[in-house]
Amino acid sequence: MRLYEFEGKGLLLKYGIATPRSQLYSSDEPIPYEPVVVKAQTLSGGRGKEGLIAVTSRESAQQAAEELLKRTHHFEYIDRVLLEEKIEVKHEFYVAITYDTDTRSAVVAICLHGGVDINAHADAVKRFPVYPTDNEIAEIVRKAGFRDHHAEWESFLRSAINCFFSEDCTLLEINPVARTHDGKLIALDAMIELEDEASFRHQARKYPARQAGFGRAPTEREERVKEINAQDFRGTIKYLELDGDIGFLAAGGGGSITCMDALTSVHGRPSNFTEFSGNPSDEKVYELTKVILSKPKLCGLWIVGAIANFTVMDTTMSGVIRALGETKPAYPIVVRRSGPHEKEGIALLQKAKEELGLDMIIYGAEMPMTKSAIIIKQKADDYRRQHGHTN
Amino acid sequence: MAILIDESTRILVQGITGKEGSRAAKVMLEYGSNVVAGVTPGKGGWSIEGIPVYNSVKEALTKHPEINATIIIVPPAFAKSAALEAIEAAIPLINILTEGMPVQDSAHIVHEAAKHRVHIVGPSSIGILSPGKCRLGVIGGEQEIIERIYTPGSIGVISKSGGMTNETAWVVRQAGLGHSTVVGIGGDIICGTTFTDLLERFERDPQTKGVVMFGELGGTYEDQVAHMLKKKKFTKPLAVFIAGRFAESMPHGIAFGHAGAIIEGSRGLPSSKIHALAEAGALVAGRHDELGELIKGAINGTVEN
Repeated sequence: MRLYEFEGKGLLLKYGIATPRSQLYSSDEPIPYEPVVVKAQTLSGGRGKEGLIAVTSRESAQQAAEELLKRTHHFEYIDRVLLEEKIEVKHEFYVAITYDTDTRSAVVAICLHGGVDINAHADAVKRFPVYPTDNEIAEIVRKAGFRDHHAEWESFLRSAINCFFSEDCTLLEINPVARTHDGKLIALDAMIELEDEASFRHQARKYPARQAGFGRAPTEREERVKEINAQDFRGTIKYLELDGDIGFLAAGGGGSITCMDALTSVHGRPSNFTEFSGNPSDEKVYELTKVILSKPKLCGLWIVGAIANFTVMDTTMSGVIRALGETKPAYPIVVRRSGPHEKEGIALLQKAKEELGLDMIIYGAEMPMTKSAIIIKQKADDYRRQHGHTN
Repeated sequence: MAILIDESTRILVQGITGKEGSRAAKVMLEYGSNVVAGVTPGKGGWSIEGIPVYNSVKEALTKHPEINATIIIVPPAFAKSAALEAIEAAIPLINILTEGMPVQDSAHIVHEAAKHRVHIVGPSSIGILSPGKCRLGVIGGEQEIIERIYTPGSIGVISKSGGMTNETAWVVRQAGLGHSTVVGIGGDIICGTTFTDLLERFERDPQTKGVVMFGELGGTYEDQVAHMLKKKKFTKPLAVFIAGRFAESMPHGIAFGHAGAIIEGSRGLPSSKIHALAEAGALVAGRHDELGELIKGAINGTVEN
């Protein structure tokens, strides 16, 4: 879960990292600082360049805040604005902690030149492995190249590392860390990502639900799938709406991205990305299939998955068959599924095909999974041509 | 020969009394693997599928000193302590099947394992299989599936995706080849065993004539392979598929499938991995099912590697 700046700064403060005095904007409370930094609260970065941070006088702050509340940023609605005291900065630094696949550990990344142009200094970022205990902080401070205030930096990094591990962060980025004229280090921003898998260690946490981060507002179908997923704990389903016309129903994490690659590599255009895994109930697969079939102007449906280990094919296909029975699509369907009870599963699909009069090709393991992408692409092209749909 | 496991592997199952753990014990026994003991704290004295259960790894090892591999199949909150128990007991091969283990815990146990010179495969591993010799974990699933897909042979298989392990081994089989050892390394950010760790072993294994690997978007484990090839540390034919090219046209930061599969900035892009691997001499499949013919051509000497 990604935290908003004000939530992240709340966490930093808890671990002894100084942040500017601040409060969330509310139209009926007086503006507390002069001058004041007015900052839109968003989950994605790049606010400075988009004009979502303003420094104003006390008189102009309310208007600035109200203007920000009308804006969006990467399709996020801005519903909170933070008011902050203005800090006189002598120098800006960059500090981030995250996990690194080369060292197979957490690493702290430090750059002596922080701020909005950090990307221009990417080559000057130094990285050091860090662990929950036994870090050689003095050594890191020396190697990072800080010229002075070593004691302050040691304390700052110790607090940041402590926060990162104690809170099970996967990202803790402070850009910039400001050094003031009297030598204090202050976090002017905070980008923190908490790991959902570790939430069992943090039962007391209460952050409200986040907006969906698809780089646009979630669609009705995406909202619907989220609801379906939340109603039933068995298995996980994901759905991302796209603008093609081939319905995509795939099982498994690795399998679904491999199939998306196969379909797009033959220039097939999927109408959605989907993945279901962890043995979802028939009901859940039925509801998901209905959402996929509800997209208008589909020219094909591809039902696909890698050879399953334990998922019994005849029972998992029953949810799909029920949804097909209600919708009776006229467009072509290509199925490639395999796993335990493959013969029984194929027989069920064959029966549904005959009873419902579907234009359906059914494959088991004999057809390599990704090769069936070519077949659905060709069938969908034929259907589109015959029915005068535009691609 | 094979790598990691063979006929001499003697297996402990940590979490054997759980639903997943007992199923793993059952399918390993069905395949003929030597499962000798199980552990679940507080359930010592039980028996699962005829296998004795102990309260601790230490106790199991006292009774069964021949144990040389363990699988961990416990809820994510207990995976770290289970792994530390196995590391302290110096079991040389620790295969973690648990999914959803916090990355902090994975980083910690990988660090500890390196200190104690034991080997972790996983977390989120589907298991390890040396066909005809030994199955560790649930790789291959039901007996009807494992018999259909896997057969002893000359190709090593490494996969980040548990679900794609069968499919990757299957395209090799459809090309008329068999498998030396098949390893699911899991798709987490921190992997106990990476592609390069295994390629080192496959390089030394006389049974293995070539390797097929399934990689993904995110992280740098695939890039490390390109580096290894350039340094000529792996010299046998290598066919690779990297999943996730379509995600490059999607908004960044969305996790597709696995925890480690997040593109952050320019790091972890499938296209850059593909480019690096092809340049280093790997055979890169454009579509997954091409892997079989690619590796077949390479080991028959019909494709330049």
